[in-house]
Amino acid sequence: MPLLVKVRSFLRNLFLSRRVEVDLDQEVHSHLEMLIEENIRAGMPPHEAQRAARIELGGVEQVKEQVRDSRTGAFLDSLLQDLRFALRQMRRSPGFALTAVLILALGIAANVIVFGVLQALVLRPLDVPHADRVMDLQPKDGSPFLSYPEMRDVRDNNTVFSAVAAVEVQEFGLEANGVTRPVWGCEVSGQYSEVVGIKPFLGRLLQRADDDHPGASEAAVLSWPAWNSDFGADPNIVGKTIRLDKHPYTIVGVTPEDFHGTEKFGQSDICVPMANEASLDGINWLESRSHKNLFSVVRIKDGVTMPQAQAELNTIAARIARQYPKEEEGLGFKLARPGLIGDFLGGPVRGFLAGVMGLAGIVLLAACANLGSLFAARTADRTREIAIRMAIGSSRWRILRQILVEALVISIFGGACACGLAWMALTGLASWHPSTKFPIKFLVVMPQPSLILIAFLISVLAGVLFGVMPLRQIFKTDPNDAIKSGASQSSAVRRWALRDVLLAAQIALCCVTVTAAFVSLRGLGKALTMDLGFNPKNAIRTQFDLTQAGYTSDAAADHFQRQLLERVSQLPGVEAAGYANTTPLSLYQTVTPVYSQQSVDFRPSNKAFDIYFYHVSPGYLAASGTPLLAGRDVSFTDTAKTPAVAIVNQEFARRLFHSEHAVGRYFKNRYGVSIQIVGIMADGKHFTLSEDPEAAAFFPISQGGDTMTSLIVRTHRDTADIVATIREVVRDLDRAVPIEESGPWNSQLALSLFPSQVATVALGIFGAFGLLLSIAGTFGLASYTVSKRLRELSIRVALGAQAKQILSAALGRMLILLASGSVVGIVLGAAASRILSAIVYQASAQDPFVLASVVFTTVLTGSLSVAGPVRRVLAADPASLLREQ
Amino acid sequence: MSPEPTNLLQGTLDLLILKSLIAGEMHGLGISRRIQQITGGTFVVKPGSLFPALHGMEEEGWISSFWGESENNRRAKYYRLTKAGRKQLEAETKRWGRITWAIAQALEAS
Repeated sequence: MPLLVKVRSFLRNLFLSRRVEVDLDQEVHSHLEMLIEENIRAGMPPHEAQRAARIELGGVEQVKEQVRDSRTGAFLDSLLQDLRFALRQMRRSPGFALTAVLILALGIAANVIVFGVLQALVLRPLDVPHADRVMDLQPKDGSPFLSYPEMRDVRDNNTVFSAVAAVEVQEFGLEANGVTRPVWGCEVSGQYSEVVGIKPFLGRLLQRADDDHPGASEAAVLSWPAWNSDFGADPNIVGKTIRLDKHPYTIVGVTPEDFHGTEKFGQSDICVPMANEASLDGINWLESRSHKNLFSVVRIKDGVTMPQAQAELNTIAARIARQYPKEEEGLGFKLARPGLIGDFLGGPVRGFLAGVMGLAGIVLLAACANLGSLFAARTADRTREIAIRMAIGSSRWRILRQILVEALVISIFGGACACGLAWMALTGLASWHPSTKFPIKFLVVMPQPSLILIAFLISVLAGVLFGVMPLRQIFKTDPNDAIKSGASQSSAVRRWALRDVLLAAQIALCCVTVTAAFVSLRGLGKALTMDLGFNPKNAIRTQFDLTQAGYTSDAAADHFQRQLLERVSQLPGVEAAGYANTTPLSLYQTVTPVYSQQSVDFRPSNKAFDIYFYHVSPGYLAASGTPLLAGRDVSFTDTAKTPAVAIVNQEFARRLFHSEHAVGRYFKNRYGVSIQIVGIMADGKHFTLSEDPEAAAFFPISQGGDTMTSLIVRTHRDTADIVATIREVVRDLDRAVPIEESGPWNSQLALSLFPSQVATVALGIFGAFGLLLSIAGTFGLASYTVSKRLRELSIRVALGAQAKQILSAALGRMLILLASGSVVGIVLGAAASRILSAIVYQASAQDPFVLASVVFTTVLTGSLSVAGPVRRVLAADPASLLREQ
Repeated sequence: MSPEPTNLLQGTLDLLILKSLIAGEMHGLGISRRIQQITGGTFVVKPGSLFPALHGMEEEGWISSFWGESENNRRAKYYRLTKAGRKQLEAETKRWGRITWAIAQALEAS
């Protein structure tokens, strides 16, 4: 029964430790006594006998410690001891403990939060069965959209996918229980349910038969959140009829609660068969190869590898391109990870998150360096204590373990606080909804329990990282020396210690974060005041889609739009009004190729370039504040019967004619129609704020009608007041028109500023945190250095040293460290900021303003953090100090 | 003249302690002296190694301890072999025999 014996001794050691200890003490002492007796019997004088016995024994305490170490459960026992000691140490210096825990909590929280977002958006697969087989199908380069025929070609001619489906996100006017309101829905093609492979929560999902031909079925599937909130979680929902854009649909099922669609931002409320799109969208694009508006998702067959799938896609693309050279020249497909519109958003988001993760890592590293140097300083203070412990039988390993336990206790406390912080931040982020009409939500970032594990791992890592910094100090401690010279062994010229390097490294790292923060702040500042090419201030934008109210012909839409414009223009306080199918920097941007007037062959490779284009009404230029530099505005007298005209921007003119004098000249569209330029407008932003100048054109809406309507009203009247009036006018004209959004244009542009805002907030927090760390670190080490050498410095003062000499003696090295760390940090930060320029408009560290701010901040924080110690040095009174010690 | 004291090989201390206890119960110093005697003074066991070994072996269940009177009427802690200890001694002895035989073979080989 050796095991039983072992367990018994373990329990005895654990619970009867006092008796075991007494027993051991008596045993060793009795051994010593016997040794002495033996020596006396051998004829030694008593004094000599005792000495010899002690030498043979080798120290009562050491022997006892060796026995303790060999006991079962000795490790656990001494660990508990270390733990108790660590907690006692923390209680003894609560200031240090609190600062350390706080610094770590912030550092770990930053990492946990970023990791949480990274996990939700990038690492976690979609909530569908066998998510690794589901991929986004996208064109090889450029926009992520496919046309319906392209999707169909892949679907019907492949052997590698078990299902291929298309999704179009679409806003519908949903009429249920007598109320019409805009909702986000999607049209899906027949195999969508097979691609996602989920089981319905209620009823059934859409099937191939629903999508067989236009009008095949009026089935609609609700998402769980919509069913839960908008339909009161009605268990008998299946079979109920609703109306979408005036068309009756029957709800056939509800998707499960954990299904969030194939994209991670937001979720649509309702799904309908894509075959019915003509009745819902107003135009039929099912047969159009140039109408690229679909996301496509595929499920790869089991056993098929990615390269096999890609090879087959290449073959299919080549065949399509051969068959339709005019529309599909150069077509290529690729598979991308789903969730963030494939690589379209996924690329930048992954890049940005990786960057921020790196920054968070830097911050944590800086925090560790900081705590490490504080720990090293404290260990230096405890040299005498350590020496004494060694002298009375403690091993170096035991002392190191004790310091490690102390570090781990602090970092686990920090980790626990960090968990709380991260939990709050992520929950906040998950419920946050940027102020746009788009259903952007970050529900997926809801904190997961696995984050606790991550936080714990990071804490342990951090604890070990800064805990081992005093390692060298402990191992080179010689108890004899240390006890003789005490703790004040630091001579005037001490060697460069590890903590000096750590401090410089930490200052450098903090400078990186500060530089990044300033660069993005500056970029955001520029973005807020930059020239957009139009003036969203004092303008009200009202957007709706007339197809949702049953307007299918352009003529009917045109009638409504003109009536509305007339009524709105007559409202008091309205300076200008106009409308367009869509406006720059909204999410609906359309691109078309243009050709020079001489072109005869209109295949894609012959195009001059692509332009952003808009259909605008007369007065839109004035209402939107777009400067007309030459020529005339469009007019309602430009009709389908008169020659086609356009207003183009400066970039357009420069690219096509290498001159801005383009009024009266011609270009051709992809149908070969000649279009005369009647006006030149200023360049502006169209898709993103960080884009380079792009060519754009405004066409008269009377030459190309559209049911999508963005009404712009320029006024100085009170916003709420005018918005209410506009809504009233629209309702007055037709109650069925669901207004998607109406409000100040400025706030509707928020989405464009969103990426740089996110970047700035994230980097700003890191920057502030970096500053905090570098102040704490510098201050800590400076005051430590000063307090160590106060005595020596006061002797110098007593001997007549000048203030300047004293300062350079006390803190000269500190200043060198500060300066070199800052310079390295700023250079690194400037290099790192290049990465930022993709997200933040004109982010550049070469900006003198940014450089000056960073240098100023660094100098300021540097002086702030050494100010206290400097005062203390200068105020040192040699007489009292020397008397004290 | 006694040979130079030699450092104990790993694992031999346990064997020597077991062997010395076969003669009967003994206290720590007795064991130490006994080892010195039976190895002809080759091995001198310091308390720093002896006590951890004794306590370890007691936890293994090979020996048991009790407080008794020393030859000079002093309170001392005595150790004696248990059943498991005898078995362990047999096993260790065999193992040691094999090792010494193997080493001897190796050294004789040319």
